[in-house]
Amino acid sequence: MKMSYKKRIVIFLVSIFFLSVLVFAMSRLAPGDPLVSYYGERAERMSVEEKERAMNRLGLNEPIIVQYGKWIQNAAQGDFGISFKYKQDVLQVIEGRLVNTLILGGVGFLLTFFFALLLGIWCAFYEDKLLDRIICKVGTITSCIPEFWLSLVLILVFSVNLKLLPGSGAYDIGQSDNLASRMQHLILPLIVVIMSHLWYYAYMIRNKLLEEIRQDYVLLARAKGMSAGKIMFGHCVRNIMPAFISIMAISLPHIVEGTYIVEMVFSYPGIGTLSFESAKYHDYNMLMVLCLITGVIVIFGNITGQAISEHIDPRMKEPVRMEEVTDSDGR
Amino acid sequence: MKKENVLEIHNLSVSFHRAEGETQAVRDVSLSLRQGEVLALVGESGCGKSVLCKSLIRLLPKGADVKSGSIRMEGKELSQLSEKEMCKLRGEGISMIFQDPLTSLNPTMTIGRQIDETVKLHHPSWKKERRKERVLELLKLVGIEEAGKRYDSYPYQFSGGMRQRCVMAIALACNPKILIADEPTTALDVTIQAEILKQLKEIQQKLGTSILFVTHDLGVVAQIADRVAVMYAGKIVEYGMAEEIFYDARHPYTWGLLHALPYYAKERGGLEIIPGFPPHLTPPPAGDAFAIRDQYALRMDYEQMPPFFAVSETHYAATWLLDERAAEARKLIEERKSRNRSIREEGGNKDKYEEKKEQKEQKKEQEDSP
Ligand SMILES: Nc1ncnc2c1ncn2[C@@H]1O[C@H](COP(=O)(O)OP(=O)(O)OP(=O)(O)O)[C@@H](O)[C@H]1O
Ligand SMILES: [Mg+2]
Repeated sequence: MKMSYKKRIVIFLVSIFFLSVLVFAMSRLAPGDPLVSYYGERAERMSVEEKERAMNRLGLNEPIIVQYGKWIQNAAQGDFGISFKYKQDVLQVIEGRLVNTLILGGVGFLLTFFFALLLGIWCAFYEDKLLDRIICKVGTITSCIPEFWLSLVLILVFSVNLKLLPGSGAYDIGQSDNLASRMQHLILPLIVVIMSHLWYYAYMIRNKLLEEIRQDYVLLARAKGMSAGKIMFGHCVRNIMPAFISIMAISLPHIVEGTYIVEMVFSYPGIGTLSFESAKYHDYNMLMVLCLITGVIVIFGNITGQAISEHIDPRMKEPVRMEEVTDSDGR
Repeated sequence: MKKENVLEIHNLSVSFHRAEGETQAVRDVSLSLRQGEVLALVGESGCGKSVLCKSLIRLLPKGADVKSGSIRMEGKELSQLSEKEMCKLRGEGISMIFQDPLTSLNPTMTIGRQIDETVKLHHPSWKKERRKERVLELLKLVGIEEAGKRYDSYPYQFSGGMRQRCVMAIALACNPKILIADEPTTALDVTIQAEILKQLKEIQQKLGTSILFVTHDLGVVAQIADRVAVMYAGKIVEYGMAEEIFYDARHPYTWGLLHALPYYAKERGGLEIIPGFPPHLTPPPAGDAFAIRDQYALRMDYEQMPPFFAVSETHYAATWLLDERAAEARKLIEERKSRNRSIREEGGNKDKYEEKKEQKEQKKEQEDSP
């Protein structure tokens, strides 16, 4: 049955709320000293009273529920607190990095699925031919290579040995608006993001298409004189589009996760590296916002994916009306 | 006057190649389809009817290939055509309807568009309005009411019978000379089956299409066919005009099929089934494949493949019973048949169905009288 948009929005908001509670509680219950991130080295030399005062000032001594209440009150007004580490408004720190991540993750995501679709169609069309079999074997091998290892190998080959491409960062220092510089820095991380996800999805698409090709309607379409290629694009690919989009939406967390790992290996200044740091240094406010951003991307992806696939597949759209089932044959 | 052949099949053999070995699904089949006739192809499940049909439009499944033989349509050898030419021929020259109307249509595309697709393929120069006109005309032709409203419906909004009509509309979209109907009514219930058959016959008469009608139901054959070919284990065993097959069948397998008809059951007292199962075709038996299930089989039937014997100018059967040397056996069979008939006429063995019915009636009477 079709879900109303209202219902979807409610589900979305409730999920985000639970996520925020969960992250808030977990970050504070985890062992470790948040003052280290605020005061750095000095925290170790502080006396007990000094620490107590600092904790009070940062509002970290109150019960978690009270802290959460305050946090959500401020958050509602757009104030997500300051980063302990950067001593700046959290949003300010994140802003630039979020763009970097969106570029890497977004382009990686789109390219991954673009190539996955092409590869899937190709392999399904030439099923069991030599090239399909080679691609299947090579694909299976590449999808087993861990991201960090592939990153390291690429850095070693292309930036350390060949000195062709930069192996870290998002742009050369002070060149954040230089498109060419950004592109150069993107190439290696992008290759890793695409390579590590491509076959997984291409294979899914290939199998979906093969399932489709075996359907009887393909035989009828052949019998009416359509060529195999036309049927592939006009019928089969069309029919798997809802499934394809669902797969895309459901894969969002998978690719976000991959992007974060790649960011860390390439020291790419995105929110992946930032999340890792903030968790490590108990930068609570920062961690909260980063988790929420990630959560919003993932949950939003899932819900829209579902909505889109329902929209495309006519069988999902409307309930069957009874008068249409009893037809001229059912006299 | 003898009508000309639109489709000629000569010594066609089709095999599946699998790990277990070669399955000979179609063995040395020769058939011809004449202008404007309905030729019924009858046989049990698995005897190779569908494989034969698919080989005619060169859409055999993976693993199957034509081993030998030729298929000619109006003198053109189909195996020589390129894939592109074949695509053009499908739909325009030969069309096909399949067994299961529930899965034959693309579920995510409107009926109108699926028919339109065919028209567009074969008449690329036609404008949209003209094509739509044609689609509506086709929908009417196959008996779909309110065609205009139905144009934008999806298959799931249709019943099985209507979907099969749509499939027919697709197949007839470009006035093909030959229509292959592979069990088009098997998946439908009896009343709808009869309606669709009537419609098909009407259309056939109106358009003059030659139809190869595949079925395993001789009852359906009686309603629609001009000529009949009986297939068993990949081979044609008997063919002739419909009357010849129904009233003067010569092959024991055809007898078996006929005796399994309800109509004959009444006459003979009880349905008769053919004992046993069709043979495996990996590899097929030597001699007549039906021999092991045949109560009238001769030793010769086990050893050597019988050739076709002419019964009349139009009627042929492949069984050694028709050989001159088997005159003795034929006489015995005739005697046995007439003996059976006379026993039945004496009423010596009432059939079980009637006995049961009588018992029931007696019971009822007992219950009614307090
Ligand atoms: N895809 C396939 N792979 C392997 N063997 C097949 C395949 N399709 C058919 N066969 C073989 O070919 C033989 C004939 O099959 P076919 O589908 O032509 O039978 P049929 O007469 O159409 O039966 P039905 O009345 O059930 O449709 C079968 O006995 C089977 O062994
Ligand atoms: Mg069949």
